[in-house]
Amino acid sequence: MQNLSPRRLLLMGYVYAVLFFVLAPIVIILPMAFSETDYLTFPPVGFTLSWFTDFFSNSRWMGATVFSLKIAVLTAITTSVVATMATYALMRGAGRIGALFQGLLIAPIVVPHIALAVALYLFFQRIGLSSTVFGYVLAHSVIAMPFAVFTVSAALSAVDATLEDAAMSCGASRFTAFRLVTLPMILPNVLSGGLFAFILSFDEPVIAFFLAGIRDKTLPRMMFDDIEQNLTPIIPAIAVLLTAVSIFALIAAALLRRAAANRTAPEEAG
Amino acid sequence: MDDVVQAQTGTPPVRGAEIAVDGLAKHYGSLKAVDEFAINIRSGEFLALLGPSGSGKSTILMMLAGFEVPTAGRILIDGVDCTRLPPQKRNIGMVFQHYSLFPHMTVADNVAFPLKMRGVGRTERRRRAAEALKVVRLDGYGARMPSQLSGGQRQRVALARAIVYEPRLLLMDEPLSALDKNLREEMQLEIKRLHHELGITVVFVTHDQGEALTMADRVAILRGGKLQQLSPARELYERPANLFAAGFIGEMNMIPAQWDGAALTLGTGERMVPPTGAVVGTVGQGAVTLAIRPERLTVCDPVTPDALQATLREVVYAGAGTLLIAALPDGTEIRARVASASLPPALTEGETIGLSCPPEAMLVYGEEAAA
Repeated sequence: MQNLSPRRLLLMGYVYAVLFFVLAPIVIILPMAFSETDYLTFPPVGFTLSWFTDFFSNSRWMGATVFSLKIAVLTAITTSVVATMATYALMRGAGRIGALFQGLLIAPIVVPHIALAVALYLFFQRIGLSSTVFGYVLAHSVIAMPFAVFTVSAALSAVDATLEDAAMSCGASRFTAFRLVTLPMILPNVLSGGLFAFILSFDEPVIAFFLAGIRDKTLPRMMFDDIEQNLTPIIPAIAVLLTAVSIFALIAAALLRRAAANRTAPEEAG
Repeated sequence: MDDVVQAQTGTPPVRGAEIAVDGLAKHYGSLKAVDEFAINIRSGEFLALLGPSGSGKSTILMMLAGFEVPTAGRILIDGVDCTRLPPQKRNIGMVFQHYSLFPHMTVADNVAFPLKMRGVGRTERRRRAAEALKVVRLDGYGARMPSQLSGGQRQRVALARAIVYEPRLLLMDEPLSALDKNLREEMQLEIKRLHHELGITVVFVTHDQGEALTMADRVAILRGGKLQQLSPARELYERPANLFAAGFIGEMNMIPAQWDGAALTLGTGERMVPPTGAVVGTVGQGAVTLAIRPERLTVCDPVTPDALQATLREVVYAGAGTLLIAALPDGTEIRARVASASLPPALTEGETIGLSCPPEAMLVYGEEAAA
């Protein structure tokens, strides 16, 4: 039943406008990466892959990329492990501080990143964590935690808590019961939470701006520097690569969540 | 199913555990979920814990399993104090209400799980899991996932998992409540057969009195966390220890009366002299309750001596049996379940009938037992 009332048309127009404004910059920036000119221009002139070659052969860019990858991978691991443990404690534990704890975990969504970045900068300066890998991983994990907690809790709420009791009645310890029964069932969501954390960390600019030292810079921070000084099509080239990585990661996360849904859903029918 | 029961009359492979529970209590704040519960369960016995919801029966089972720590009291399994032992160290088989199969494992892996936890090798695990599946008649289902099975099959898998390592004690928490009636009756016989075959001690929680009477050697009736009666099924039905047990198991006519130490006076002055054995426990003079099972009453001429006179209100014909609902002169409702064939042909609602019962069918309960 297609009802094209004026209200509906207005709503559809609004939705497409939003999509347009979100996607247009990406659509414009991506072709610029292939321009033969050494300045940014749209539409691009000619076609070349040399900006990509430049990026991969430049040791400063590669250094920043490896540094960012290192931080992103460690953030993904830290976030998925801590989020899983925290969510388990929140949902299965008997403690009364659960609500407070949950508030603290998801607070980084509410607090502006710039405020968090300034606070972390001042704090990390004092304890010597500024511009260290460990410092970045801590800061990025804090930002990514809410997303991972949401993903894991969605999976955990679908897992019957008595399954662990059943495993324990079979002779498993509490930890073994978790490892062999609960964890395999929520693993797809744990991994997809980790992937989110990876993406958030890999192209996170605000905290990177404050925590960056002279030598070790993350990729987004390097891009800012380059935009200020040169602004060659190497920036859109990197944007193409980052967009591709993000899209693949999101697809992977979606596939993992679907796998999780298939795995837990049929049992509930009984 | 009979052939299997008969085929398995050899000595059972395992000797069931002996359980001694003493002074067991579980309090949640001011709520006494279980209070002063004591019981001795014999090796190889099938015990049913029966009670309405909130009676503490599940809490007792959870304390036996180790999932709840008692507030007070002791649990000895084969003479070993297990009161505070964690569940995984008790070597108990357990079947849960909603099967609790691991949905991400095959049926065979589910059944083999307890063996894996005990460090049994892979080939041996497979062999014994297949054997356990055979015992519950799910031969060849090992490669399936639990979601591919019906409710009854899942419960059989849960049963196989609970017995695969030959525990000496099997705990079951309302295992059949999620199944439909036909399947439930089939599983009742199946579990009884297994109990007989394996010789293990079984503690079975249920709120279904028919299930308890059918399956158990002894039934423990619970109410408000306290043990009301512990008896073999037949005694429980024929001579309930108090009014609660009388009303909880089966149907019971409860007729208010006065007791003078020798005879009963009913509401409108009829006097009856019950045999001495009819009085349950100690009954003081004054208000008492006369309890008679509906199926022990027969219809007779209203003028028969010692018969109760009643006005017939409803005749509910149901094939082999007929339910008569009548009222005593003081208004107390009384029900009789009689064989349809034994009824006089023309019974009309509103006529006065006589109801009589054999003297041993009368039970007299004092006020204090009414609780």
